[in-house]
Amino acid sequence: MAWLETLINGVLLGGLYALFGLGLALVFGVMRMVNLAHGEFVVLAAYFAVFLATQFPGVSPLFFIAPVALAAFGMGYLLQRLLLNRAVATDDPLTPVLVTFGIAVVLRNLMVELFGADPRALDGGALATAGFEIGGLRIGWYPVLVLVLAVLAFGALQWLLQHSRFGLVVRATSDHREIVRTMGVRPRHVYAVVMGLSLAFASVAGLLLALRTSFTPFSGVERLLGAFEVVIIGGLGSFRWALVGGIALGVAQLVGQRLDSNAGALYAHLLFFAVLMVRPNGIAGART
Amino acid sequence: MPLLEVRELCSHYGDLQALFDLSLDVAEGEATALIGANGAGKSTLIRAIAGLGSRSRGAIRFDGQAIEAEPAERIARRGIALVPEGRMLFPSLTVEENLRMGALCGRTGHWTLPTVYALFPILQEFRHRPATQLSGGQQQMVSIGRALMANPRLMLCDEISLGLAPVVIEQIYRAFGDIRAQGTALLVVEQDVTRACRIAQRVYCLLKGRVTLAGRASDFSAAQIANAYFGH
Repeated sequence: MAWLETLINGVLLGGLYALFGLGLALVFGVMRMVNLAHGEFVVLAAYFAVFLATQFPGVSPLFFIAPVALAAFGMGYLLQRLLLNRAVATDDPLTPVLVTFGIAVVLRNLMVELFGADPRALDGGALATAGFEIGGLRIGWYPVLVLVLAVLAFGALQWLLQHSRFGLVVRATSDHREIVRTMGVRPRHVYAVVMGLSLAFASVAGLLLALRTSFTPFSGVERLLGAFEVVIIGGLGSFRWALVGGIALGVAQLVGQRLDSNAGALYAHLLFFAVLMVRPNGIAGART
Repeated sequence: MPLLEVRELCSHYGDLQALFDLSLDVAEGEATALIGANGAGKSTLIRAIAGLGSRSRGAIRFDGQAIEAEPAERIARRGIALVPEGRMLFPSLTVEENLRMGALCGRTGHWTLPTVYALFPILQEFRHRPATQLSGGQQQMVSIGRALMANPRLMLCDEISLGLAPVVIEQIYRAFGDIRAQGTALLVVEQDVTRACRIAQRVYCLLKGRVTLAGRASDFSAAQIANAYFGH
């Protein structure tokens, strides 16, 4: 019974990892660009949520999801518009990598300067510990909420890309970014909206994670690593499978934690390593 | 006043100058052919008109408005559509989605999904297939249909017969009558000189970035065109 509980909680934790990877996969799929500052933006969003919590004490952190996501969207839009579009336009895949690496370093040090290096956490109040029992299993409300949000985010993005006019433009721009201009589409704007969405998803994940674990300005690297593993297990550019990748990582981590209480994350990394050995292109790699 | 006026245009392809003081007119509703050997500057000219070129000097006027400094997005909304070399269909999109992309610039008129399907009925049958799974000729129809969906006043066609069987090429060029009947002018790059003179009222021959022959297609003998083409 305890194992089943671990498994279920692993699936739920996986939703969080999937949310990290979703934004990274979206940006890579559309712009063929890797955002090395992804993790730093996740952490920045968590600090913003903590700031909101001090301004509005007693308010459930769930109410901060919308403002944090909105702020992250705006920041992503401006970042792409002012800086990253120029890096993408060089057509050299190394340029955006170097630029975002630089942004990550700057953000990390900026956060130390502003918030200090002490670990912080977001107080979830009753939400963090409340749960329910079903058939003798104890499930926390928090992980259920995370999984529901993750599935909603994936479903919404999938719908947006496949059935909306915006999705049509994004897919076409991803195929031929020059030709779409002759149809009146502005690729710079499309890219900026995509980066905004990516950071919005990442910020929601950052907020949810801050409810569970403490973070410091240096936590971004770890978050980026998790996001990368999710994306690569799923198959690069295939965000559909990032959800599966995230869940696999979550399960591996919690199962690992039960076997060896100090090294849960190690098992997640081992799973990642094993997938890389067997399917270097990820789960979706052979399908596309 | 011609619909499109190009005046003393100098343009570069990479580091090389590809066009030298080139001037050209396209009249409203007329088909104009652009012929010339490889490297004559035909594609560079087409890209410059569509706003995709690198920095160039000279003037390009469309309907009396200077467009040489405008971005491709705005030129598209003015009513210039491009059927690019190599078709450049969107592989992630179905046939119908490719066509809908053409309508994004927001110009309305005769050409809609039903009228494009009426022009190329085979596309309706395959409308839910990924566009790049079609045959070469069918893909070219998608590319032309996509440009038509913008209801352009001028449609630029770059090497649309390249790599297609003669019977397919004939089928595609037959559609040009219907396209012109809706008032759309055409500027067509065509390697086959005989075919170019047959489909177009006016013809320009380019050689090394300069116009070597211009006028009514019916006014020239084969020898005159050959001289202009090869520069003997």
